[in-house]
Amino acid sequence: MAAIRVDELCKSYGSVRAVDGMDFRVERGELFGFLGPNGAGKTTTIRALTGQIAPDGGDVRVLGCDPTAEPIETRRRVGILPEQGSPPSFLTPREYLEFVGSVRDLEPEYVAERIDRWTDRLGFGGKLDTLHTDLSRGQQQKVMIAQAFLHEPDAVLIDEPLANLDPLVQEQVKRFLVAYAADDNAVFVSTHNIDVAESICTRVGIVADGRMVTERSLAKGGEDADADADADADPLLEVFLREVTDADARDLPSSAHDRIEGKAGDSERDPRLEATGR
Amino acid sequence: MSTDAHGNGDDDRSSNARLLFVALLREEWRLHTRLFGGWRFAFFPLVVAAVAVAGTVALLESGLADGTILLGVHVLAAGFGLYSGTAAFAGSDMLENVFGELSLLLGSAETLPLSRRRLLGLFLLKDGLFYAVVFVLPMAAAAVVLAPARTPAAIAAAVVGLWLSLSIAFAVGMTATVASIAVRTRGVPTWAIAAAVALVAVVVGVSGGSGTAVPYVRAVVVPLEAGPLAAVGIAAGTVLLAIAALVAYDPTYGRPTRTVGDRFAALSDRLPLESGTDALVAKTLLDLSRSSGGVWKPLVSATILFALVAALVGIVDAITGIEPAPGVFFGGVLGLSAFTTYNWLTQFDDLESYLVYPIAVEDVFRAKRTAFALVGAPTVLVPYLAAVVWFDATALDAVVGAVLLGGYGLYYYGLTVYVAGFDPNEFLFDAVRFGAFTVGVAVALVPALVVGFVVVPPSLASGAALAAAGLGFGIVGYVLSSRAGPRWERRYLTDR
Repeated sequence: MAAIRVDELCKSYGSVRAVDGMDFRVERGELFGFLGPNGAGKTTTIRALTGQIAPDGGDVRVLGCDPTAEPIETRRRVGILPEQGSPPSFLTPREYLEFVGSVRDLEPEYVAERIDRWTDRLGFGGKLDTLHTDLSRGQQQKVMIAQAFLHEPDAVLIDEPLANLDPLVQEQVKRFLVAYAADDNAVFVSTHNIDVAESICTRVGIVADGRMVTERSLAKGGEDADADADADADPLLEVFLREVTDADARDLPSSAHDRIEGKAGDSERDPRLEATGR
Repeated sequence: MSTDAHGNGDDDRSSNARLLFVALLREEWRLHTRLFGGWRFAFFPLVVAAVAVAGTVALLESGLADGTILLGVHVLAAGFGLYSGTAAFAGSDMLENVFGELSLLLGSAETLPLSRRRLLGLFLLKDGLFYAVVFVLPMAAAAVVLAPARTPAAIAAAVVGLWLSLSIAFAVGMTATVASIAVRTRGVPTWAIAAAVALVAVVVGVSGGSGTAVPYVRAVVVPLEAGPLAAVGIAAGTVLLAIAALVAYDPTYGRPTRTVGDRFAALSDRLPLESGTDALVAKTLLDLSRSSGGVWKPLVSATILFALVAALVGIVDAITGIEPAPGVFFGGVLGLSAFTTYNWLTQFDDLESYLVYPIAVEDVFRAKRTAFALVGAPTVLVPYLAAVVWFDATALDAVVGAVLLGGYGLYYYGLTVYVAGFDPNEFLFDAVRFGAFTVGVAVALVPALVVGFVVVPPSLASGAALAAAGLGFGIVGYVLSSRAGPRWERRYLTDR
């Protein structure tokens, strides 16, 4: 049984169809990259997957739960890192993680042990007793990552996991996500960053105009698992550009903009593009 | 025309200032229409004008002197200016401590080659203009009643005259706040600023109505009475003080990092509530106590309400010789502090932020109600006890008033939560919701006040009837607050 199953998901806001017949599956052990331009329906999909909104149609299952009918149980089972989420301004990281442990019915001793582990992993031990309002964005993001994994969920849904993190911590988080998925968990990552998706995901789906337009498997580390197939031999960026409509082009991810507009310069062209002669 | 190294001349700079000013005005309008009920916000000035006219008629009919009403309207404008001046906090972390995270054009000085000081000046100018038109101008409709004129031109002149006077009072208030913030950014501690303000208030207060300082203070607050020349002088002085405040303002000011011990676990353990709810309540209490102003904020709000009501009782007594039953009167009115207390309890979070946890929206509302009971009870009890002691209430009056206070407080709370959900501050600017809230308050409050004025001290029968009303409205409030969770959950699930 797929850890996450989405069939014909639809959601409109007034006359705008934010999600229009979305279909995909995420299996346990997969690190699934959810790619798409701004306004493609990514955040709406995540909200539907976690019972934060009621879809207009379609069927969604997360770890066997129907998020619309059982939102609390769904959110109890999964971990969520929301888009631009930030921890409560007037709690400290230690207090916030205790708060999360309490609403998730975790034992205080377990929470204390998890706090120690996450502060070691992400290096915010020195900030454990500082109010969030006085922490940098990056430090706040570390705390948000810790809360999403505090209860070691079987599935996590993450929106832009590496936002505001320094390169060192980015690498640590990327390695952790790969290892976490490999431990028979489902990791769903929504991101604009194609390089990140290529480097850590085992499979990616590209969405545009509220629909899944293509999916492809990637071997660990971004090596193309289906390189012998013509369509899949293209670098992910090329696939992305091909699938995303002109209407969405203005919202292309930053790395795509840079490459299209030649900001990085010829000498810094993506080696994978060089290799394919593109 | 002078130019700099990049060929940017004075014309470019003034053109940029114009562009920026227009963008700031547009932002202000969109902020209000987005936050406060969309197109319905356009009706808000009409509501203000209607309240100003109706209130003035009512006060005149009750025998209050023109000058007292004029003073009251100006004090309101100045008070609103004091509040609006807090915009000088915007873009710094100080405002976020009070109102949560903001993202305004004012913050663009961090990313664009714009002077933060100049941008703040334009921002405050825009605020002054916006509020002078959207809020102060409708208040000036009171002139139609205060200075009855026969010709349209005379009516227009009276309204414009009062508008200009109120606008100066508003600017005085706004400038006073900005100046206080400016000296704060220069390292002057908050307690010293508060002490200076208190000293001025005491000097003016001690000097009484015949003191030498009073006419000057009154002239500054009510420029219309001081004459055109003095009004121009006050306006010029206010502008000079505003410029001095902007010069003194240090845009680099930042509060030191705060480190605190773990209080969450101890607090949630002490709360005799089920697991999960105790965490939500503890979080709300910590948010309140650690934000600027601390746990005193709700008490200050309730005390302001108490002072206004006490002054009103004095005025009514002076005019009519009738003094209401203090327990009933203060019990009924002080319950209104439920609105401000709830507002403070929801100021530092939003409902969406809870939806990443296994918590129902209903649970969040229930936890807020518990926090409201914990914070609201002592907040309102202090001024109530002061009132019954000060005005020498009978035992029956005090008991009935206490029942009214508890019941009505819960009713006003339930009404607020049901009508406004998690955004009580915003719905005040939504004419339809504000109207519903006002009617809901009046239904409970007006009969209680009438009885409080007519039967002094309350008889056993009237006391029993009022206590029953208090209990009844309390039950209604409890039901409303219980239904608020499912009602707003449905809205969040379908509208987001």
